[in-house]
Amino acid sequence: MIDINSTLIAQILNFLVLVVILRAVAYKPIVKVIEAREKKIKETLDQADMDRRAAENILAENKAKLAAAGKKAEDIIEKAEKAARDARDASIEATKREIEQMKKAAAEEIERDRLKMTESLKSEVVALSMAAAGKIIEKNLSEKDNESIVKSFIDKLDSKKLGDL
Amino acid sequence: MHEIGVREVVQFLGLTFNWETLKMTWLAMAIVILIAVIATRRLSLEPKGAQLVIESIIEFLHEQIGNTMGKRGMFYAPLIVTLFLFILVSNLIGLIPTLASPTNDLNTTLGLALMVVIMVHFLGLYYKGSHYIAHFFQPFKVFFFINLVDEIAKPITLSFRLFGNILAGEILIIILLQLAKWWVIPSVAWLAFSIFVGVVQALIFTMLTMAYLGNSVKDEHES
Repeated sequence: MIDINSTLIAQILNFLVLVVILRAVAYKPIVKVIEAREKKIKETLDQADMDRRAAENILAENKAKLAAAGKKAEDIIEKAEKAARDARDASIEATKREIEQMKKAAAEEIERDRLKMTESLKSEVVALSMAAAGKIIEKNLSEKDNESIVKSFIDKLDSKKLGDL
Repeated sequence: MHEIGVREVVQFLGLTFNWETLKMTWLAMAIVILIAVIATRRLSLEPKGAQLVIESIIEFLHEQIGNTMGKRGMFYAPLIVTLFLFILVSNLIGLIPTLASPTNDLNTTLGLALMVVIMVHFLGLYYKGSHYIAHFFQPFKVFFFINLVDEIAKPITLSFRLFGNILAGEILIIILLQLAKWWVIPSVAWLAFSIFVGVVQALIFTMLTMAYLGNSVKDEHES
């Protein structure tokens, strides 16, 4: 059962042959693959590191840009508000002026109407007075006399009463 | 192996060979090479299947070699990987009916152990020269005899451990089947245990080989 013979040498040779074959067939290619993978992993990690740094830079840049843009927007809004305020003030001013003008025009028209009315009232009063006087006197004076009497009467009225009309 | 202890021998060039051991060794070698070819047929950076298994074994052994043998040990990694795969496959094919383990023959295990021990001394002399011879006389000269026993015990323990485990396992498989033909549970249980033993013995042989080689290969200045 434990007889030692030439098999011992044969087994050593067998094993050494297997070492040589396996080394060529499996060991070297697999070690190459393992090394390639380690290299790839390292490269990928480095790349990821670099990408992250680049991303951080871009983020910082964007933040700065955003802040600048916000400031600019504020300025623009402020300017626009100021312009709007100015425009409104100007428009109010213009409206006031217009109102003033309209008031003035209205006052002038009222004055004109009053004068016209006074004039027509005068002639009405003359006619009425003449009719009244004719009836009272019952004797017609000459046309010329009538007119002078009435005129003096109205002139008195004018100075006393019509001025208040 | 149906008649325990009886070996079929052949004569070749006046030398005697155990024919069954040789046949089974070649079968084991063929299986190992087949596994290697299957594993490396389509190598990819994202391994799966056989490639993943072989890669895991190689990376595990690389780590062990790095720990026990240092940087120089990497040169001997193919030998260690082959030793592990060969012994593992050899141990396991013996569990298949009508086949036998090459490692159930002392010629195989002693051959491997002697090869390892010869390498240990040769590489020790090659890397460390006179320091290597001096270390047999440490710490005192009389310790040479103790060290000598230690060195002689190395191949004997290495080979007989593997040989004994595997041969006993195979013998017990046969005996259990003879004893309890009507009851298969002990046989099945022992078969399962034999798979475990086969893996463990392959690992032990490989680990001890690494440790022995480490003594002579490892650079002492390397931490």
